[in-house]
Amino acid sequence: MTAIAPYRCAARRANDGFGRLLHAEWTKFRTVRGWVVAILLAPLLIVAVAFLQRSECGIGNPLPNGTTFNSACPASPIGPGGEAVTDSFYFAHQAVSGNGSITARITSLTGVYPAHGGHMAAAANPLAGYQPGVQPWAKAGIMISASTAQGSAYAAMLVTGTHGTRMQWDYTGDAAGRPGAASATAPRWLRITRSGDTVLGYDSPDGTHWTLVKTVSVPGLPATAQVGLFTTSPSYQVIKTSFGGSSGTGGQTLATGRFDNVRVAWAGAGTTWTGTSVGAQGTGPAGVRSGPPGPDPFKGKFTQAAGAYTVSGAGDIAPDVPEAADGNGMSAQNALIGTVVGLIAVIIVAALFMTAEYRRGLVRLTFAASPRRGRVLAAKAVVIGLVTFVAGLAGAVIALPLGIRQLRDGGNYVLPMSALTEARMLAGVAAVLAVAAVLALALGTLARRGVTAVTVVIVVIFLPFLLGTLQGLLPLGAQEWLLRLTPAAAFAVIQVVPAYHQVLAPYSAANGYFPLSWWAGFGVLCLWAAGALTAAAYLLRRRDV
Amino acid sequence: MSAVGGVTAPGAAAPGAAAPRLAALHAEWTKLRTLPGTFALLVAVAALTIAVSAATAAAYDCRAGAGCLAAATGADPAKISLTGLDVGQVLVAVLAVLAVGGEYGTGMIRVTFTAMPRRLFVLTSKAAVVTGLTLASSLVAVLGSVLAGRLLLPARGLSAANGYTLLSLADGADLRATLGSVLYLTLIALLALGVTAAVRDSGVAIGIVLGLLFLFPILAAFVPGRTLARHLEQASPLIAGQYIEATTGLRSLPLTPWQGLGVLALWAAGALLIGGLVLRLRDA
Amino acid sequence: MEATIEVTGLRKRFGPQQALDGLTFSVLPGQVTGFVGPNGAGKSTTMRVILGLDAADEGTALIGGRPYASLRAPLTHVGALLDAGALQPSRSARNHLLWLAHSQGLPAKRADEAIEQAGLDAVARRKAGGYSLGMRQRLGIAAALLGDPPILMMDEPFNGMDPEGIVWMRGFLRALAAQGRAVLVSSHLMSELEDTASHLVVIGRGRVVADASVAEMIARASGDRVQIRTAAAADAMTALANAGATVAATAPDQLTIQGLSTERAIAALNGSAVPFSEVSAHRASLEAAYMELTRDDVEFRAVTPS
Repeated sequence: MTAIAPYRCAARRANDGFGRLLHAEWTKFRTVRGWVVAILLAPLLIVAVAFLQRSECGIGNPLPNGTTFNSACPASPIGPGGEAVTDSFYFAHQAVSGNGSITARITSLTGVYPAHGGHMAAAANPLAGYQPGVQPWAKAGIMISASTAQGSAYAAMLVTGTHGTRMQWDYTGDAAGRPGAASATAPRWLRITRSGDTVLGYDSPDGTHWTLVKTVSVPGLPATAQVGLFTTSPSYQVIKTSFGGSSGTGGQTLATGRFDNVRVAWAGAGTTWTGTSVGAQGTGPAGVRSGPPGPDPFKGKFTQAAGAYTVSGAGDIAPDVPEAADGNGMSAQNALIGTVVGLIAVIIVAALFMTAEYRRGLVRLTFAASPRRGRVLAAKAVVIGLVTFVAGLAGAVIALPLGIRQLRDGGNYVLPMSALTEARMLAGVAAVLAVAAVLALALGTLARRGVTAVTVVIVVIFLPFLLGTLQGLLPLGAQEWLLRLTPAAAFAVIQVVPAYHQVLAPYSAANGYFPLSWWAGFGVLCLWAAGALTAAAYLLRRRDV
Repeated sequence: MSAVGGVTAPGAAAPGAAAPRLAALHAEWTKLRTLPGTFALLVAVAALTIAVSAATAAAYDCRAGAGCLAAATGADPAKISLTGLDVGQVLVAVLAVLAVGGEYGTGMIRVTFTAMPRRLFVLTSKAAVVTGLTLASSLVAVLGSVLAGRLLLPARGLSAANGYTLLSLADGADLRATLGSVLYLTLIALLALGVTAAVRDSGVAIGIVLGLLFLFPILAAFVPGRTLARHLEQASPLIAGQYIEATTGLRSLPLTPWQGLGVLALWAAGALLIGGLVLRLRDA
Repeated sequence: MEATIEVTGLRKRFGPQQALDGLTFSVLPGQVTGFVGPNGAGKSTTMRVILGLDAADEGTALIGGRPYASLRAPLTHVGALLDAGALQPSRSARNHLLWLAHSQGLPAKRADEAIEQAGLDAVARRKAGGYSLGMRQRLGIAAALLGDPPILMMDEPFNGMDPEGIVWMRGFLRALAAQGRAVLVSSHLMSELEDTASHLVVIGRGRVVADASVAEMIARASGDRVQIRTAAAADAMTALANAGATVAATAPDQLTIQGLSTERAIAALNGSAVPFSEVSAHRASLEAAYMELTRDDVEFRAVTPS
């Protein structure tokens, strides 16, 4: 053997680490024009769908006088927490200053609702066609409120139709007290005590043994507040959902609460009560979206005789819940429903980002260049995840305001959102797209074939979303399970208004309410992606390429 | 698969002596037959469709009593029995995509076009073979689903006593729904075939086909404007195509069942046209 | 790090087929080692195992004493050309080399240098899908040279090359070896390696059949035979036998002798004044030597039409 000096590599190397793998995979990604075009298509699709969010509100509803009701839908009052609220009830009240307490006994809560749903009878007898029956969340009780304006801060102890005694405050707060309905034989005693910003709610079966239901903070209460008796009754709505569609009936209802033993222990308390129909007519209660303001009985009234008080009212004191009978606004979440469309492009690119390596054996070069295969997979996941996140975020940031504008241009009232909710929706859309891309990449690694990977991802994300959200395709329970167990659960990130148990509404995915909260739904997707990625990494190491 | 076997019986296309048309058919039949997974997919189409249909029928619950009356539920026994098509169509699309896309993945398409330079002829032959296989498989899938519905639904409240007509092929509407559903699956296969010929990549093709199928219903459901939603439903290959399954409430549909299937047929024809053009005009 | 490949006792089974059956050999720096064997003998599998792509059931393959998977920037240790078609058709040659360079932490200018070395300048920015087989082969070579590695491994590099390309490739491989690199080149055609390789590893059915220098192989196959053409065959036989050769008459006026070099045969004939018209050393071709070695190991044999 001739003595030849072994060759020494002269090429200079930069850093030795994960960064250069990322750089390599990013170069791979950006140098295939089809992939770049497809990933740019994703935000475009999201924005295009937001553009379709156009509907006319309040156009063409018939009025009793034969004309039609053509006006933009009214805005809802805003509660102390910044959320839109429904705030309509009858309030018999007086002004009090400083700390004190109010006590009352309720002997009954009754109500009427439309027998055949829908429309009002002749003006001569407005309640003809109504039948007795109290709504489950009809409310009668005592309240301390900042003012009689809609959206005021408040705290109340109340009796409901079928949900027992409750303490409620500032529209979204709700705590259960003693169960059971109020009646002459089993009356309910209620008390609220104010101490600065703190309000304590008590209930009692006999007026001597009191139970604290809840201590709440109501910072919106001024020094001089209104205290008194109130009654309200949410509109009624029955929606039948079956295979192939749904139909609904409903209408306004009226509740009447009877009180006695009313005691106001407050500095400056008197015996004169003022009756106010809070939120009646025009800006308030139900029926505005579907027709003209209701007839007189629904404004409510208040009578007082020999220490007994009768208060009747209609409406609700609750968050404004889209699709509820008294719901008024529209949620902006559908402005981001294009995420589902953009996801198709993302899935195809992400799956192909891996399967294209297998198609012509490029994967051998890749793994010869980087023998630590798990790191190659990780680098690919980071690259496709980041690229998709940025693309998705760009799409969402444009789509959300555009969709809201489209809805507003159609005269709709769009429910306000906190900046935090908005940020969560935008980042959520981007993150869902990114994690779904990683899931597609991992399945691409497992399947090694584009067609298999794309099909499987679409079947685990789209089919459940379709079957889970389209009304009447499957029984509601099955739909909810689909949206709990499959990656489609993650679309909960665009949900704006949570489901409130104290407001009856068709809480289904078809109406934009997902069975899991946004973080849990996103977690489900992450679990799927993590599982697939782990399996992919394991197989990559074990398999010959 | 006897129906298909009859069309392309090996004797009818003996080597050397056969007319080119039969030879092309025979070649495509042999290719698809020897593609691993073809028969597994065909069996899966039937099995999965029937399983999902039967599960849906078994899970049907209209709450006993008056709630189950036909007038109250508006339920359509035929449509419920054919729910499995939603899943079966995915496999049908995969089968059709693989029939074309598999050749692009490996470069075999060049061999095919060298052997049979008339490319449209190749596409037609592929379409014929895929149609034959899909017809056979979906006939089993649809008949099995309808049978499952007939057996299971009466016990779940959709009985004659409650005012429903039992599923029967003697009934005009049921027969139309049954045969139409077979055609529905076949048209899905042709749509997928055309798309694949146009985009020449299996992964992209199945993504586009399933996107076309599933996105329209989602958009139609989440677009607030009713007019726009109705137009989306009319244009959707899935929604309009499945009007063929409906036997009740036909008046409320934006299209008649056959018009609906026609929409899907238009999509399939369009895809095949574009696929054929791409095949003709682009280098293999 | 030593610029060597050491393969020891490799075994690998694909289902019922024993692809590698105790393969042992090493590749040394400064020379082109030919890695030959019939189709299906296990050449590509061996190379894949060396590169850590396939896992061997038994045995080791070390690059300068280390397993491939432990190398942190492997392309600066080993450059490999396995399958020239293994690329994304929609990516240009330069971009293909660019991601590869990034994966090794190499600067982008290495991609341009490798393009120049492989003679791809003219097409470097065109989509690789449109390349001819020879151009893809050059791209594969550029990829192998990217890290300027002391070891090069090429699987069938002559595939698809035109005659000019083959000449270029031979010179190129020799030049790489002359720089002190270890070069392993596989081929199923010995003739391709005739003027290129100085050492040969011949395998058949997953086993090493021969591991020797080219000179040794030829010598073994030709067996030092010398052919003599003469009219006086009988006198010549005597003279040569006396000089210590084994003599056989292969034709009426032709003798083949063994055990005597050409020069000494001429001296012996001249010494006995035997007239002769031609003395030539019989030199077996490498091809013949190879055919001889692998006759029993051919996996797929075509039927010769009669």
